[in-house]
Amino acid sequence: MPSFDPRIERLHISDNSKEELLSHGENWNIYEVFHQEKRGARHEHVGGVHAPNPEMALVFAKEQFGRRKRCVNIWVVNSADILAFSEQDEDMFAANLGKTYRDASGFRVMDKINRIRSQKKEE
Amino acid sequence: MYGGGYIFDEPDKKLSAQEQLHDDPEKLTRFEEKIQAGEKIEPGDWMPSEYRRQLIRLIEQHAHSEVIGALPEGTWITRAPGFKRKMALIAKVQDEIGHGQLLYNAAETLGKSRESMINDLLTGKSKYSNVFNYPAETWADVTVIGFLIDAAAIINQLANARGSYGPYCRALERICYEESFHLKQGQEAFASLAAGTHSQQAMLQDALNRWWPPIMQFFGPPDKISAHSGKLMQWKVKMASNDDMRNQFLDTYVPKVWELAMTLPDPLLKKNESSGRWDYTEPDWDQFFRVIQGEGPCNKERLDVRRWVESHGRWVRLALMKAGQRKSMPMA
Amino acid sequence: MEPMLREALAELITKMADDELILGHRNSAWTGLGPILEEDIAFSSMAQDKIGHALALYTLLRELSGIKDMDHFAFGRQADQFKCCHLVEYPNGEYDFSLMRHFLFDAAETLRYESLEDSSFEPLRQLSRKFRGELKYHMLHGNTWVIQLGHGDEESHARMQGALDACFPLAFGIFEQGNREAFLIDQQVYPGERVLQERWLEKIYPVLVKASLNMPAPDLNPGTPGGRQGKHTVYFAPLLEEMSEVFRMDPETAW
Repeated sequence: MPSFDPRIERLHISDNSKEELLSHGENWNIYEVFHQEKRGARHEHVGGVHAPNPEMALVFAKEQFGRRKRCVNIWVVNSADILAFSEQDEDMFAANLGKTYRDASGFRVMDKINRIRSQKKEE
Repeated sequence: MYGGGYIFDEPDKKLSAQEQLHDDPEKLTRFEEKIQAGEKIEPGDWMPSEYRRQLIRLIEQHAHSEVIGALPEGTWITRAPGFKRKMALIAKVQDEIGHGQLLYNAAETLGKSRESMINDLLTGKSKYSNVFNYPAETWADVTVIGFLIDAAAIINQLANARGSYGPYCRALERICYEESFHLKQGQEAFASLAAGTHSQQAMLQDALNRWWPPIMQFFGPPDKISAHSGKLMQWKVKMASNDDMRNQFLDTYVPKVWELAMTLPDPLLKKNESSGRWDYTEPDWDQFFRVIQGEGPCNKERLDVRRWVESHGRWVRLALMKAGQRKSMPMA
Repeated sequence: MEPMLREALAELITKMADDELILGHRNSAWTGLGPILEEDIAFSSMAQDKIGHALALYTLLRELSGIKDMDHFAFGRQADQFKCCHLVEYPNGEYDFSLMRHFLFDAAETLRYESLEDSSFEPLRQLSRKFRGELKYHMLHGNTWVIQLGHGDEESHARMQGALDACFPLAFGIFEQGNREAFLIDQQVYPGERVLQERWLEKIYPVLVKASLNMPAPDLNPGTPGGRQGKHTVYFAPLLEEMSEVFRMDPETAW
C-alpha cells in the first residue's frame, strides 16, 4: 500500500529501515531552565533542555520555554552544577516553625502597652 | 498531548509479590502514607522499585506517543489549506514534540536516559499509543485527530496530572494548558468542514467513520479484562479506570459531534438514562492487541520515520558531543 | 498614492512575501523530523515566523493593490506568478543544507528589514520594527549552529562547507534586481539590492571565518533572469501543487 505521507517517498524513508541505535551521551547534557515572567519577578525553574553547551542550551530554552506567554529572560545552568538536599534531610528544616524568636508573632508589644495604660488609669 | 489510556507492559514483568519483598517495609509504609496524604514524590525520594518501573513505563510511553503522534498530522503540514490552518497545524505538531521533550525529561528524573528510551522505541521494545498506527488519509482526518483524539488525551492527562509523581504532574500542567489550544483549533477545523459544502461534509463523515473504532479503543480494554492492579491506583500512578475515562469522553464529546449533524458509526451508541452511562458496541479487542504487536496499517512506517530521523540527525549530535562530558540527569 | 509607486511597492512586497512563504513552507516540513527534539522545536518556530511574515506582507499588498484575499494569493496563483528566489525553492536535503540556507537567507532578511526601518513607506517601517526581535533570534540561532558545526568534528565541518558551497551561489538570487528598483531607491523606500548584497557579504563573512568555513568567491555578475521574473527551478511546481492540494479542491469555500 502506498503511503499517505508525501515525505515517505521524498525522503526514501522506507529504504531506511535499518536499526541504528543511539549511543550513550548522544543527546548531550542537561541544562536546567529558569524563566523570568516580567522584569522585577524572580527567575523560576520551568524544566530542562538537552544541549551540548550553555550557548546552545540558551538557544533551545528560548523556544521550548519562552514561545508562549510572557517571558523576558531565561537562565540556564548545567544540572550537574546544582547541589540539593535529599528527602532524608527534610528534618533539618523541621524545627523552623517552632522558633518564634525569629518571627514577628513571637513579639507582643500590645501586652506591654495595655499594661502601661492600665497602670496610668490606676494612678 | 497523547497519553493513551492503555499502557503496554511486557507480560513477564507484571507486578510480582517477590519483587515487592525487596522493598524495606518501613520505608514502603512511609511512602504509601505520604501518597495517601496527597503529598508528591520527588526524584531523589525513596520509592518502591515497582513504582519507579511502572512510572518510567507510563511516562516513557506517553513521551513516545507525543513524538509518534506528531507524524500522522505532520503529514499534512505541507498541504494545510490556507494560512490559518497551516500555521495552527505547524504550531500544534511543534507542541507535540515539545510535550515529548518535557515528558522524556520527567522520565529521565527516574534514572533512564533519553537515549535508551529512544532506543527502546526504535527496537519496538517500548510502545506508544495505538491510535497512531492508523493513517491520516485526508485533510478531514487532521480535524478528527485534532478534535476527538486530543479531547480523549485531555481526559487522560487531566486525570494523570493528579497523580503522585511531582515531575510528571508539573509536565502535565503545562501540557494540559497547551492542549486546550489544540482541542479548540481541532474543534473549529472540524466544525468548519461540518458546516461546509456537501463534499467537505462527506470527507469529514468518511474520516469519522474510519477513526471511530480506534478512538473507542483509545482508553484501553474494559476494566473487566484490563490487567492492571489496584496497586497502581493506590500509588496514584493510574488515576482513573479505562471504562470511566471512556464514559467521560463519550458523555462530553458525542453530543458535540451530533450537534454538528455528523453521525458516529455505532448503532448502539446512546446514553443509558437509567445508569447514566453510555451503551456502545464493544470494540474488537483482539484486533487492538494485534495492532499493538505490529499488525496495524502504519506500525512499520511510523518506526521507519523515527529511524530515518535518528539516523539522519546523528551527525549533528555526534559533532557536538564532547569527550568526557559530565552526564547528568534532570533535577526535577 | 501615485500608480507607479504603488506598482513598485507591490513588486517589492510580493517578492519578499513569496520568499518567506516558500522558505517557511520548506522549513516547516522539518517539524517532527529534526535532529534532536530541542532543535526540532526551535526550527519549527522560525518556520512559523516566516509564514507569519508572509501573511503580514500579503496583508499590506491587499491594502495596496486590492488582491482578493491572502489565502487566494498565496495558495491560488500559478507558478510563474510567484516571485520567490531559487534558493528557497530547493528541497530541504539534509539538515546541513537546510541550516545553511536558513543562516544565509535570514542574514539577508535581517538586513532587508533593518534597511526598511528608515523606509519612506510607513507600513514597511512598522513591520520591520515588529519583526526585529524575531529576526534577532533567527540570527542568534543560525550563527550559533554554523559556528558550532563548523568546529564540531571532521564530518560536520565537511558537511557545512559542502552546504555553503551549494547554497552560496543560489543565495545571490535573493538580490536579483527588480524592474522598478531604481524608482524605489529614488523614492527612498529601500536602498536597493546591490547595497543589501554588499551588506550581506559583510555580515556573513565574519561568522564564516569564526566557523572556519571558506566563503566561495562571490560571483557578482548578474545571472540570467530567475525567480524575481517568475522563472523557477524544477522543484517549484511540485511544491506548489502539494501546498495547494487541499485548498484547490474548493478555493471558494472556507476550510
